Amino acid sequence: MQNRSLAFWLFLTPVILGLGIVVVIPFFYGLFYSFTDWNGITADEFLGFENYINLFQEDEFMSSIWFTVKFAIVTVILLNIMGLGLALLVTRNIKSSNLLRTVFFMPNLIGGLILGFIWQFIFISVFGDIAGLTGIEGLNGWLSTTNTGFWGLVILTAWQMAGYIMIIYIAYLENIPKELIEAAKIDGASSFQRFKNITFPLVAPAFTVSMFLTLSMAFKIYDQNLSLTNGGPFNSTQMVAMEIVRTAFSDNQMAYAQAKAVIFFLIVAVIAMTQVYYNKKREVEM
Amino acid sequence: MKRNKFYSGIATALLASTVALAGCSFGSDESSGDSDTGGSSGESVTVDVFQFKVEFKEQFEELVSKYEEENPDVNINVKTVGGGNDYGASLKTSFSSGEEPDIFNVGGPTDVDEYESYLADLSDTAAADAALEGTLTGVSRDDKVLGLPFNQEGYGLLYNKQVFEEAGINPDEITTFEALEEAVQTLDSQKDELGIDAPFAFPAKEKWVMGNHLANAYLADEFNHSVMEAYEADTVEFAMGDQMKRFTDLQNKYSVQPTLSLDYSQQVEENFSLGKVALIQQGNWVYNTIESMDPEFAQNNVGLLPIPVEGYEGSIPVGVPNYWVVNKESGDEVVQASKDFLDWMYTSDTGKKFVTEEFKFIPAYEGYEDLEIADPISQEIYNYAKEGNTLGWVFLGAPTGWTEGALGVAMQEYIAGDITWDEVEQKATQAWEESRQ
Repeated sequence: MQNRSLAFWLFLTPVILGLGIVVVIPFFYGLFYSFTDWNGITADEFLGFENYINLFQEDEFMSSIWFTVKFAIVTVILLNIMGLGLALLVTRNIKSSNLLRTVFFMPNLIGGLILGFIWQFIFISVFGDIAGLTGIEGLNGWLSTTNTGFWGLVILTAWQMAGYIMIIYIAYLENIPKELIEAAKIDGASSFQRFKNITFPLVAPAFTVSMFLTLSMAFKIYDQNLSLTNGGPFNSTQMVAMEIVRTAFSDNQMAYAQAKAVIFFLIVAVIAMTQVYYNKKREVEM
Repeated sequence: MKRNKFYSGIATALLASTVALAGCSFGSDESSGDSDTGGSSGESVTVDVFQFKVEFKEQFEELVSKYEEENPDVNINVKTVGGGNDYGASLKTSFSSGEEPDIFNVGGPTDVDEYESYLADLSDTAAADAALEGTLTGVSRDDKVLGLPFNQEGYGLLYNKQVFEEAGINPDEITTFEALEEAVQTLDSQKDELGIDAPFAFPAKEKWVMGNHLANAYLADEFNHSVMEAYEADTVEFAMGDQMKRFTDLQNKYSVQPTLSLDYSQQVEENFSLGKVALIQQGNWVYNTIESMDPEFAQNNVGLLPIPVEGYEGSIPVGVPNYWVVNKESGDEVVQASKDFLDWMYTSDTGKKFVTEEFKFIPAYEGYEDLEIADPISQEIYNYAKEGNTLGWVFLGAPTGWTEGALGVAMQEYIAGDITWDEVEQKATQAWEESRQ
């Protein structure tokens, strides 16, 4: 904190400027607009909290929030289990571990929109064909009901993000001192005990990071949602981000959508902050 | 003390960035700003066109360069942003950022109201005179004509001629619902021999197919085929609701299943173009897609049936989906140049040829009688229109977002079996009334 010299600030300048122009200033603009009847071109009158009162009474917005919360809970749990599992798998001494890392990470390099279309094809055509061959009825009609749409989104997101979360866990796993593990072995700890008492506490910081990432990602998901189900059937698989975009551009209610976005921001911020705070408290120092 | 140091640091940083940016002051402003004020005569005029129709971007730009050759002192820049919502959003952005285009597009009366203060009166143009009767109602405001129609579009039931022939069905006899139902049942009973999966492909995933097009056929009569009447209506009654239900049920029941995850591209490309279904409810805009899948099939094998509406047997919905408008804030010279260009596009010989042959439009103007219409579907729609067998397009006059957000969603719920048809009508009517309060 002592070395805040002029050079320090000069180096920081481009970042602060960029952040200011594309995040901070628009954010406050948006905050202001959410209290007006702004339609994207002009704002005529100041409405106070009217937009905010209305959005809490709107079924569609509330159900999209609820859907997103359910989705976030399931994906966060699933992603962390998968990420840690894959990380444990590729940090063992197996021959193909480098290849496997690449393979698991690969889905991350494809854009969400494309992935959505690929999985749409899998869920609708491939699943349908498999159902036709094997007679498993449950594989028919995916994405045409709310439930299959939900699980479709979960599967897609888990498949896409697991590799990324895996990388975070790998970094922490590889930092665990070998001596600790060996000492535990000599003391006769079973592999489960070693995992429970040594590995798990030491990768706790990775949980903090990856839970924050997965949580905020799950809340903000948009493109996969758009290309996989487009919110259908009857907007029941519509996440908050998509609901806001539609309010703004399909229903042409810019200020109202902005108010929704502010509420959305608050929800995500509060959840993420709380999560980081509690996880931080549980971490152990080496 | 520390605090102060922090803020002075931030200030330094911002100051430094201002200095850094001052070097590259916004030079682009000068070039675009000056042209709009239009200097003395003899200087060139720049017209910025911002349009949405991706399908004809290249052909349109070709036409523009032809115009520039003929008129060396006019310079036209074309910007195209496609897709339904993207265009509206980008247009808004360009207006709020002060980069207003000189020529842009609007859809229905709702858009006209929103941009009304920017729209120049085009009633003195030759194109406005030549526009077919009824095509200007949506963009007329107290004796002013604020837009010029792009083209006409129409839709109905596109059918596979070969399959109909093999099944022994005469398409000319299918004007009533009963006849259609019978034909569909015939097709369904011979599915295997005809080599089709189902008679229909009904894309219930696409809210616009149901909420805009299907519904419009049964709502047009209620609003006297006038988009303005729909725009001014306080409520919607679904006077033909029973027929609408019947037709929805028929398509849904005899479609490739499940319909709720069936989308537009699957409907047109996978199912219809590949001959897996015999009928789809779509319009002339699908022609290029079918052609890209199977040119021979598109050219010779696609016919058009009317949607069965009692009292309107043998009529199809035809309307103007979009209009060209001119920004009156752009300075007199630019407005004039914009009008001249639009006139030339729709009334000069070169322009007309382009409109029909290159754009493959169904013209919304007089003076195209001796020109060949590019594709067979459009030709059929043009024939319906010429004979006056048309229903209006009223859905552009519905409250913003109503067709998809209220009606389309309710119809999806009905198809999923969650609500009854009466509830569909109730929900949709309620949403309409709330928007129009």
